[in-house]
Amino acid sequence: MHIIFDKAELRFGERVALHPLSLQLSEPRIGVIGLNGSGKTSFARLVNGLVKPTSGRVTLDGMDTVADAKAVLAATGFIFQNPANQIILPLIRDDIAMGPKARGLKGKALDEAVEAVMDRFAIAELAERRPHELSGGQLQLAALAAVVVTEPKLILFDEPTNQLDLKNRALVRRAIDGLEQQAIVISHDLDLVSGFGRVLVFHEGRLAFDGDGAEAIARYRETAAC
Amino acid sequence: MLTSLYVEGTSFLHRMSVRAKLAGLMIIGLALFLVANPVALGFALLVTATLYLRLGLGVGEAFRRLRPVLITIAFFGLVNVVVLSPHEALTSTLRLLAILFLAASVTATTTIADFIDTITALLVPLERLGLMKAADGGLAFGLVLRFVPDIALRYAVLKEAHAARGLTLKPQTILGPLIISTLKEADSIAEAIDARGIRGQ
Ligand SMILES: Nc1ncnc2c1ncn2[C@@H]1O[C@H](COP(=O)(O)OP(=O)(O)OP(=O)(O)O)[C@@H](O)[C@H]1O
Ligand SMILES: [Mg+2]
Repeated sequence: MHIIFDKAELRFGERVALHPLSLQLSEPRIGVIGLNGSGKTSFARLVNGLVKPTSGRVTLDGMDTVADAKAVLAATGFIFQNPANQIILPLIRDDIAMGPKARGLKGKALDEAVEAVMDRFAIAELAERRPHELSGGQLQLAALAAVVVTEPKLILFDEPTNQLDLKNRALVRRAIDGLEQQAIVISHDLDLVSGFGRVLVFHEGRLAFDGDGAEAIARYRETAAC
Repeated sequence: MLTSLYVEGTSFLHRMSVRAKLAGLMIIGLALFLVANPVALGFALLVTATLYLRLGLGVGEAFRRLRPVLITIAFFGLVNVVVLSPHEALTSTLRLLAILFLAASVTATTTIADFIDTITALLVPLERLGLMKAADGGLAFGLVLRFVPDIALRYAVLKEAHAARGLTLKPQTILGPLIISTLKEADSIAEAIDARGIRGQ
C-alpha cells in the first residue's frame, strides 16, 4: 500500500508522542527502530488508524484513517507488542476462525481457511491448545495466523521478537520473510530489520533518520550512545 | 492458570447442542423454583452434582472453580436461617446449589466459540427488529465468559505480588490495581477486536 503521512501529529494532552510527520512509504519491508518511548508504537497505530492523528492526516492508498477507518482496518493487520492480548478465544483454532467468520465465511470454507493458515505457519498441532500453554514464539505465530487468515494487504508488527529466544526469533523472522504482504516491523532486535530496504529511526517523537537498514542502524547506535 | 471454564471431553453433555443445553438449563431452573419439597430438591441436587463431578474435572478443581459462588450461597443460607426459617433456608439453598451445578456443567461442556455462535443465532430476531447487531451480542457474551476467570487470575497475581513484598492484603491496596489492570486489559482487547475486524463488516 502507499502510505502517506501529511503533517500527522499525535499528542496526549501536553505530551507529544509524535511530532508532525510527513513522509511516504511504499516499500514491501519497512523497519522502525528507536529508543523506548521514541514514538514507534504511536507511529504504527497511526498507520492503521487505531489512533487518530491530533492534527494532519494519514492515508493508505488514498483511504483516510479517520474518514475510511473501517476500510483501513480491514486492509491492515496488527500484531501487538503482547500477542497474548490479541488472542481472544481460549482455543487457538476458534480464535483464528473469528476473523474470517466475521467476514461471512462459514462451514467447510471456514474450516479449510483455518486449517490452511495453521499448516502454513506449522502450528496445526496447536489447534486445540490454549494461549497460556504456548511458548512466546508459538503465541506470535498463532497471532500472525489469525491476522493472515483475513488477508490484509499490510501487516504491522510491534516488536514481534521481543522476549523470544534465538530459536523462536529465527522462527518468527522466517514467518515474516515469507509473507507476500507488505510489512512494517517495529523492533529492538536490529538483526530483524537490518536487511530491509527502508528503515525509519525515531528519536524523541521525531523521525531522526530514514534510509536503508545498515545506515539506519549505524545512526541509531549514534543517537543511543549520547 | 485458568483462562476458560471449558473442559475437553466427550460426555453426553459435550455432544449435546448448545441450544438444547441452554433450553434445558432454563426449563429445569424454572421448574426447581416451583418445587418446595426439600427431599425432592435434595434429590435434584444429587443428580446435578453427580453430573458435574463426572465431567472429568477432578473433585479439587471442580470445587475450586465454584468456591466463590458456594461461599455466597452458604452466606445467604445462613442469613435465611435467621431472617426466614430453617426450612425455607434449606429449600432455597438446595435449589440454588442444584441450579449452580447444572449451570456449571453447561459452561464446562460448551466452548466459548459455540456459545457465541448460538447466542448470535438466538439474537437474530432482535436484529431483524432493528434493536441490535446479533454478532455484537454474541461477542459480548463470549467476552464475559472468557475474561471473568482472568479477573480471578489477576487477583491471584496481585496477591502474590503483595506476599513477595511482605505486604498484607488490604482492600484499598488491591482494589485500585485490580480495577485499573482490568480496565487496561479491556482496552487492549477492544483494540484487538477493532484491529482484527472481528465485529462483522
Ligand atoms: N495512551 C497514552 N497516554 C499518554 N502518553 C502516551 C500514551 N501512549 C504513548 N504515550 C507516550 O508517547 C510517547 C511515545 O510512546 P510510544 O509507545 O509510541 O513509544 P515506543 O517507541 O513504542 O516505545 P517502546 O519501545 O517502549 O515500546 C511516550 O512518551 C509515551 O509515554
Ligand atoms: Mg512500543
